[in-house]
Amino acid sequence: MIILAIIIGCVIGAMIGMNIPTIPYTYSGYLAIAIIAALDSVFGAITSSLKKNFDLKIFLSGFFVNAILAMALTYLGQKLNVDIYLAAVVVFVGRMFNNLGIIRRYYVEKIADKKILAKVEEVMKQVNKDDTKN
Amino acid sequence: MKKKHIALTLGMVCIILTMAICVQMNTIQKANSTVVGTLSENGLRDEVLKWKEKYDAIANQLGEEEKNLKNIREKSTQNDSTSTEKEEQITLNNCLLGLTKVEGTGIEMVISDDPNAAKSLDDIAKHIVHDADLRAIVNALKNAGAEAISINGQRIVNTTAITCIGNVIKINDERVTSPFTIKAIGYPESLIAVDMAGSYNDFLREWGIVIEIKKSNKVEIPKYTGAISAKYMTEKDR
Repeated sequence: MIILAIIIGCVIGAMIGMNIPTIPYTYSGYLAIAIIAALDSVFGAITSSLKKNFDLKIFLSGFFVNAILAMALTYLGQKLNVDIYLAAVVVFVGRMFNNLGIIRRYYVEKIADKKILAKVEEVMKQVNKDDTKN
Repeated sequence: MKKKHIALTLGMVCIILTMAICVQMNTIQKANSTVVGTLSENGLRDEVLKWKEKYDAIANQLGEEEKNLKNIREKSTQNDSTSTEKEEQITLNNCLLGLTKVEGTGIEMVISDDPNAAKSLDDIAKHIVHDADLRAIVNALKNAGAEAISINGQRIVNTTAITCIGNVIKINDERVTSPFTIKAIGYPESLIAVDMAGSYNDFLREWGIVIEIKKSNKVEIPKYTGAISAKYMTEKDR
């Protein structure tokens, strides 16, 4: 159900996004950094749900507050003539890769565990058969 | 119940995220199509786009303010015959100066480079439209009694210069390229005579330049978007 909601959300979002007018080019940098921040929150949420400590409040607040903070920092950087958005990009993308690594490890281990379990079951069956024969 | 809640909020979050991504992609695509450049020119491109946006915003504002001014002038001169007369004079003068959008009977002419210019054996420069050609045509139109002329949306006013800058032509400090759409307001029968046998148009056609001309009952000519100023001249006492 959750996956269904995500897919429907993505489709509706894409349809709306394709049809609403574009923003001025001056502000596209801010939107880009907000998107990166939001994506980071999404990957963080997936990781935490795998670890079974997903909290909706933390996810939602992180999603919006991170995006707004990143935009504010970018604005500050532009005023100070320092490319602060680069730091934000490095941090967010770095965390995204970390989370992706955790997700990957989780699924790889899960598959490996399944294989081992299947093998153990086979051996057990064999043993049981041998037992009944004797 | 709680699962429903989570699914709903996640769906909303996804809507916002994909919407933002799509908007961003559209914006970047649009920006890339308006100004082309290599990666090293990104900074300059940013700057140009920002100035363009600022310019558009201010031009819009100016147009609105002018409308306001016109309304105020009309209101204040409603019940006064001498000032109404003055108001009419101002309107006429603005039309003549090119400060207002005008319409009327006239002609529309489209001039484009020789489509086979690249294949020709002699000098390729002879097969394309030059600034001098446009000047000659504007001159011919004025001679035929044109009251307002525009080339590719650039109104020809008193201070207009038509010059050549490399591979494009500059009119009113704006670049224009072939095909050139020339619109002129005046008496259509005499304006169309610029296309008669032995005219400059005929001479251009000999070089393969394509010219289409037609009379029109309603030609719309935009206003001059630049500023008209008189820094050095003052009126001398009569």
